[in-house]
Amino acid sequence: MAETKEPVPRASAVDESSMRIDPSLVRELAQLLTDNELTEIEVQDGDRRIKVARELYAALPAALPPAPAAAAPPPPAAAPAAQEPAVEEVSGTTIKSPMVGTAFLSPQPEADPFVQVGDAVKAGDTLLIVEAMKVMNPITAPEGGVIKKVLVADAQPIEFDQPLVVIG
Amino acid sequence: MKIQKLLIANRGEIALRIHRACHEMGIKTVAVHSTADSDAMHVRLADETVCIGPPPATESYLNIPNIISAAEIVHADAIHPGYGFLSENAQFAEIVESHNIVWVGPKPEHIRMMGDKIEAKRTAAKLGLPLVPGSEGAIVTVKQAHKLANEIGYPVLIKAASGGGGRGMKVVEAEEQLESLMSQAAAEARSAFGDDTVYMEKYLADPRHIEFQVFGDGKGGAIHLGERDCSLQRRHQKVLEEAPSPAIAKKDRHRMGEVVRKAMSDMGYRGAGTIEFLYENGEFYFIEMNTRLQVEHPVTEMISDIDLVREQIRVASGEGLSCTQDQVHLHGHAIECRINAEDPETFAPSPGLVKNYVAPGGMHVRVDSGLYTGYRVPPFYDSMIGKLIVYGTNRDECIMRLRRALEEFVVEGMKTTIPLHQKLVRDPEFLAGDYTIKWLEAWLERA
Repeated sequence: MAETKEPVPRASAVDESSMRIDPSLVRELAQLLTDNELTEIEVQDGDRRIKVARELYAALPAALPPAPAAAAPPPPAAAPAAQEPAVEEVSGTTIKSPMVGTAFLSPQPEADPFVQVGDAVKAGDTLLIVEAMKVMNPITAPEGGVIKKVLVADAQPIEFDQPLVVIG
Repeated sequence: MKIQKLLIANRGEIALRIHRACHEMGIKTVAVHSTADSDAMHVRLADETVCIGPPPATESYLNIPNIISAAEIVHADAIHPGYGFLSENAQFAEIVESHNIVWVGPKPEHIRMMGDKIEAKRTAAKLGLPLVPGSEGAIVTVKQAHKLANEIGYPVLIKAASGGGGRGMKVVEAEEQLESLMSQAAAEARSAFGDDTVYMEKYLADPRHIEFQVFGDGKGGAIHLGERDCSLQRRHQKVLEEAPSPAIAKKDRHRMGEVVRKAMSDMGYRGAGTIEFLYENGEFYFIEMNTRLQVEHPVTEMISDIDLVREQIRVASGEGLSCTQDQVHLHGHAIECRINAEDPETFAPSPGLVKNYVAPGGMHVRVDSGLYTGYRVPPFYDSMIGKLIVYGTNRDECIMRLRRALEEFVVEGMKTTIPLHQKLVRDPEFLAGDYTIKWLEAWLERA
C-alpha cells in the first residue's frame, strides 16, 4: 500500500495470464539448484508453477489464475514493503482490511500488542485497530484459530483489502 | 500554497489526464483506485497508490471516508475530483477543505448553488443570462403545472431539480399526459437523486447544445475560452464535440462569451466551469452550469493552447489565471470523438481484454486514453475508453485529419464505437455542420 513506484512503468502484460515473477523465490530455487548440482527444479503450489533451469535464470511464466478483481496482487515494481500474498507458505485465513487508514497493533501506544504470532484467538477477539479519520475501528477474528502471521507494522498506512493477519 | 502532492479522486482517462498535468508541473501524484483498477495506466504511473475499495463506485470512488483517509495517510496537499463521481458533491468539497486539503474545484457554495437546477436558473437570471421559458421555481401541484404548461405552450419538459447531465427529464407532448408524467418524473428523481423536486421548461423544438468554457480566479477575475458544440448526442450522452461551433457567428460568440465571463466575474467564481445553453433561431437559452471540468475540455485546449487542468491547479494553489481575456486567442478547429467500449450499432457494452492497441498519431492528433495492450476494461464503470481529439486550421482540414486518424485506430479484443465515428465523419449533414440535438438519434434510426 501507498507504494512508491519505480519511475518507469513496467512493460505491459502481453498474455491472457499476467506474468508475476518473484525474484527472491527464483533466487532461492537457483541456489538450491546449484547447491545440489541439479539442472532443473520445478515447484508447484496450487495453480502456481515455477521452473528454474541451470544457467538460464529465466523463470517460466507461472500459470497464475487471471487475477480476480478483488484480489489483484501488487505489481512487482512496488516497494519492498508491499506484501505478496501468493508467495506465503503459511496456510490459513488472511484477514484483509475493510477500509483505508492506519494500523495500530496495540490498544495504546505503550501497551502490549493485541495479538502475537502463536497466540490462540476466538471468534470476535480484536486482532488490531485500523484508525480512519480519528475513529478507531477494531478488526476482529472472524473465527477461532492461531495467529500464524502479522503482516503489518504498528502505525503502518493501510489500504483497502490489504492483508493484515493470517489465522490458521 | 504550492501543491506538492495531489490525490486524484477518479479513474480512467481523466485520472490519467490529471496525472499528466501534475507531472508536468512537478507535482507528485497519488492514485486512489478500486480493486478493479489496480492495473489502470494512471495507477501504474502515479507516484503512490492507495486501494480504496471493491469495484462498486459507491464503495470506492464515491467512498468519502476512504478517500479522505487515503489523503491523510499519504499526506496529500490537494485533491482533484475529475468529472462525475464526487466532482460536483458540495459536501465532499467542504470535507476536503475542512481537512486543510486544497480542493481543486469551485467554491463549495457555487457547487451547491449550481447543483440545484432551480437555484441555478434563479442565479443565472440574476446574472443576466437568458433562460428557457419555464417555471420560476419548483412545480408543486398539478394545477400549477397545467396553468404554466398552457402559458408556455406544449410540448413542455419536466426536469428534476437535483438532476442534470441529461438525466431526470420527461417530455410532455400534450395536456393529457402532464399529470402522470409529472408523478413519474418525481418518482424517478427521488430514486435517482434522493429528491423528488421538479420544475418545468418549454421543450425547444430542435435546438443545438452550445456550451461556453469559463474560468475564474475566485477573486472576480474571469475569462471565457469560447464555445463547444455538443449537439451530437444519443440518449443525452454526448458522442462527438467540436470547437468552435459551426453554427455560431463570431459576433454572437463575442457577445455571449462576454456575458458569461462577466457573470463569472460577478459571482466571484473559482476554477473551471461550463455554462450550457440551448441555441435555437439565433437565441441562447441557459439550461445549466457544470461546476467542474468537462469530458470534452480537450477541444477547447486545442483551439486556445491553454492546459485547462494546469489552469485548475494554478487557480487552486492561489497562482491565479495564466492570462487575461485579451490574451486569449482562439484559433482553428478541433473535434473530439468519444470512443466507447460498445457495439457501434446496438451500443451494448463490450468490456474485455485489449488484445492489441494502436493509437493514431501524426500532427495535431491527440488521444486521451488509459488503454494499452493487455489491459482489461472492467465492466463496473461507464463504457468510455478514450477520446480522439484532432485539430486543424479550419473545419474541413480538421475533418480530413479526423478521418485519417480514425483509419489508424486499432482496438482489438472488444467492440468500440470507432466504426460509428467513421460513418459520422462522412455524412453530408455532419460535413455541413447542419445538425441539432435530435439529429444523431434520427440518423441512427435511419441507418
